[in-house]
Amino acid sequence: MDWNAILEFARGPLFKVALLVFIGGMFYRLVRVISLGWSKDKVDSKGSKVKGVLISYMKGFFILPFFPWVKNTFTKNPITFLAGGIFHLGLFLIIFLGTPHMLVWKSLIGIGWYTLPLPIVDWFAAVTIVSMIILLINRFVNPVLKLISGPAEKFNWLVVFIPMVTGYMMTHHLFFRYEALFSFHMLSVDFLLIWIPFSRISHFMFYFFSKSIHGAQFGKRAVTP
Amino acid sequence: MAEETIYEGMKRRGFSRREFLNTCSVIAASLGLSQLPFVNGQTFAQDSTSQKAVTDLVAATLKSKPKLPVIWIEIQSCTGCSEALTRSHSPSLKDLVLNHISVEYHETLSAAAGFQLEENKQKIMKEYNGKYVLVIEGSIPLADDGIYCVIGGRTSVDILKEAAAGAAAVISTGNCAAFGGIPHANPNPTDAVGVWKIITDKPVLNIPGCPAIPEVFTATLVHFLIFGALPELDSLNRPKAFYGNTIHDRCYRRPFYEAGKFALSFDDEAAQKGHCLYKLGCKGPITYNSCAVMKWDGGLSFPIQSGHPCLGCSEPNFWDGGGFYQGLSAPIEKPELVAVGAVAAAGAAVGLGMAMANNLKKKHLHKEQE
Amino acid sequence: MRTNDLLNTFVEETGAWVASQLEACTRCGICAESCHFYQATGKPEYSPVYKMDILRRGYEQRFTIGGKLKLAVGIDKKITDEDLDQYKELLYEACTVCNKCAMACPMGIQIGPILHNIRTGLSAAKAVPQDLLDSTKKQIEVGSPLGVTDEAWESRIEWIADDFEVEIPIDKKGADTLVVFTSIELMKFPTNIAAIAKILNAAGENWTISSKGREVVNFGFFEGDMNHTRLFMQRVFDGVIELGVKRLVISECGHAYDAFRWTAKNIMKVPDGLEITHIVAVIDNLIKSKKIKVKENSFDDGTLTFHDACKIQRRGSHIQEPRDILKILAPNSFKEMSPSREQSQCCGGGGGVISIKEADENRFAVFGLKVKQLNDLNAKSVAMTCSNCRLQFVDGAAHYNLDVKVRSISEMVADSLVEN
Repeated sequence: MDWNAILEFARGPLFKVALLVFIGGMFYRLVRVISLGWSKDKVDSKGSKVKGVLISYMKGFFILPFFPWVKNTFTKNPITFLAGGIFHLGLFLIIFLGTPHMLVWKSLIGIGWYTLPLPIVDWFAAVTIVSMIILLINRFVNPVLKLISGPAEKFNWLVVFIPMVTGYMMTHHLFFRYEALFSFHMLSVDFLLIWIPFSRISHFMFYFFSKSIHGAQFGKRAVTP
Repeated sequence: MAEETIYEGMKRRGFSRREFLNTCSVIAASLGLSQLPFVNGQTFAQDSTSQKAVTDLVAATLKSKPKLPVIWIEIQSCTGCSEALTRSHSPSLKDLVLNHISVEYHETLSAAAGFQLEENKQKIMKEYNGKYVLVIEGSIPLADDGIYCVIGGRTSVDILKEAAAGAAAVISTGNCAAFGGIPHANPNPTDAVGVWKIITDKPVLNIPGCPAIPEVFTATLVHFLIFGALPELDSLNRPKAFYGNTIHDRCYRRPFYEAGKFALSFDDEAAQKGHCLYKLGCKGPITYNSCAVMKWDGGLSFPIQSGHPCLGCSEPNFWDGGGFYQGLSAPIEKPELVAVGAVAAAGAAVGLGMAMANNLKKKHLHKEQE
Repeated sequence: MRTNDLLNTFVEETGAWVASQLEACTRCGICAESCHFYQATGKPEYSPVYKMDILRRGYEQRFTIGGKLKLAVGIDKKITDEDLDQYKELLYEACTVCNKCAMACPMGIQIGPILHNIRTGLSAAKAVPQDLLDSTKKQIEVGSPLGVTDEAWESRIEWIADDFEVEIPIDKKGADTLVVFTSIELMKFPTNIAAIAKILNAAGENWTISSKGREVVNFGFFEGDMNHTRLFMQRVFDGVIELGVKRLVISECGHAYDAFRWTAKNIMKVPDGLEITHIVAVIDNLIKSKKIKVKENSFDDGTLTFHDACKIQRRGSHIQEPRDILKILAPNSFKEMSPSREQSQCCGGGGGVISIKEADENRFAVFGLKVKQLNDLNAKSVAMTCSNCRLQFVDGAAHYNLDVKVRSISEMVADSLVEN
């Protein structure tokens, strides 16, 4: 197989198309939802909605990842919480503080930044991969997840797992030639980009809606979210 | 008169037997062989991969074979590969190669020029038909019936096909001859291609690089001389002995890559300390060549050692690989801002359309309720 | 067809607020761990994410291309009458709309209000348990879900005023505060009504009750039917308008507070300038402004804890007021349950569950979790500000042979009143 040609294609025109599909798709999803109409909330607020929103985000980013027991439901199902949390932490570290990915951002938005040393990011990648496997097993073992998980959940897992694993293999030059590994990674990333707007992986965009609504609802009632 | 063998030629010029055997072991080392192919039905002692066995083979060959005729044709070339070859700093290797090959035709090196030289070339091709090695330097333009490179009234495509027909082996030296090089870069106005896109009836050996490392070229040539066959090639027809590993795999700065110590700009503190150049766009990980091992100028230095990231010059399309100073991980093609805007607007429009249709559904039901 | 009624209601009520949250759900299942019905019974269908699923399917199948494709390909199924019957049980017999799930959800999805929306759809499709429908019918026709008629109500109030020697002004024009009681208090905990009257009189408040707006319980709210919800609240507002009061005080009732204080203005016209509050806030204010005086330590008689009513504390905001009151009444005996405050565990009787006989097994199973909380503290008594919870606690304590006194804050304050 001419991996050089495949790699050029995956990094070149295919990436361009994938990114365009991603952007168009996300706008489509966003506008389709928010244009369904927001009704004005006429009920008098007791507390501050804005304060509620701020606390909601602060808790979500700074407190819950490091002190998860603040939410008393944590002790009842630590697996999903921990594995999911570690997965997301690893994901953000790799995508934003990993050197190769920072260079991708730099080429797209024009600015770069300091990154973490490879061994640290690498360790997180390994932990993240293990977390993902635990989460998949959980989907087959936990009674609630067994009930609500369909083919979509499992496929989404795969679409995120393959870039992770191929990225890890690339870093360590495992089993295949570098251009082949790079090609696998790029092809899977291109597919991920195309798939995100049409699946639940786009939840990262809707997170800001649900978290803000959550904060506002609790802030309105002057209760800590 | 039987042609003088290489050994006889060397003896005539005053090489002693000891010097001759030294020469053979140097050639043997330079061939980078791990497995000894069988030649002329000769078999060797059990210890076939040992240095001594190879040296013995080299000696035997040089004693029995005449000089190798070489025809060297330049097409769309800058002559850099030839220049590099003549500036090779390992005298023993260069000298011995020039002692063992007879460069019958080379436009740059020949004293003669014009039709005289062309006539000579025709004579050589006839005399050594089936025996000469054809070396091509420079890319071949195909656009407009090959008008962009015409030598002595004939297109380069023509000249190439004619020369290749009678060659025992065709070697493309430099990225241009191998993959099209700089003329092939976007937008490629002359439709420049590598030799192997035109000569398809016999194997073409590629020795890419910009320029090709002279010692790689000479070792490959000597391999052909000793064994009468092309060495083991990779999927891009490059000799595996020299193109089997990437720069990244042999780079002396690799520990800095692993440790995350990078130079951020040229000549900054990290650069002066010799840290990894990955963030400056080094293409080492996907570039197969021997620069990190054999280096240039007789082992003096190579681009990374001198503080410049690897360009990837032994790979196809390295000019279009996203930019020399853009990270290897970054995409080669990015959507233009206009395209992004257009696609976002289109997505939003479709979303709005769907939402409006859905809102109509809602209004319709609401009316029904009332 | 019933499923069409369901789906049409979903379509009608699904705006961007609901849709953006449906899109945010990642099927992580963490909400299940916070749902006391799932915790107590272990049935995965009781998980909030599964309860929401019918709306998610309806939304996707009607509003999105992806949903329609999934339907066509067979990954998702059409909503059927069997679904309606199943969801009838899930939404009415296995959910109190306590909104603890919203707190557990990592995305912060307001599952409680969304489940309430689903109840609206189910009621349009007539997929509501019969017991609940019967109670609603009674409230429509007679004015109270327990069937208390106007005459019965008036004579009962008279009896309370008489027996407990407390003045209860009815339809007093010129009053500035209207207090509305629940049928539960009227019939099961009349001491509560007497207590509240005693407190307000001692504070010199210019208050009244209304014969027009005499029922604060709202079975339309439980049912999810917006028209019934409005109808029942309108009766109270008619009383407000007739008497010209400035402040409406909800007695010890949870969902009524949710309906009046946090929902009314969004679904109907509320009389201008009307302040809507809960009796616990009023009492706390009276104590703090020294309009009444209570004897300190009057309830230091063994470990006392407080049960946070979902609709008054977590969904209502009045978390600190009862605790401030208890700090005076039982500073040495008061211990917090774990969890408590906004993370507190529902008693299992709210949301209409207590009125449905088929749900008895569920609500007692859930109460078992409450029993554990009480036993962990070795509590001798538990106070609360909701009479629905109080009824559930009384029933539950009997069911579990639990030796714990069930108290209301109003009664505790009334019993500790001291001359000013």
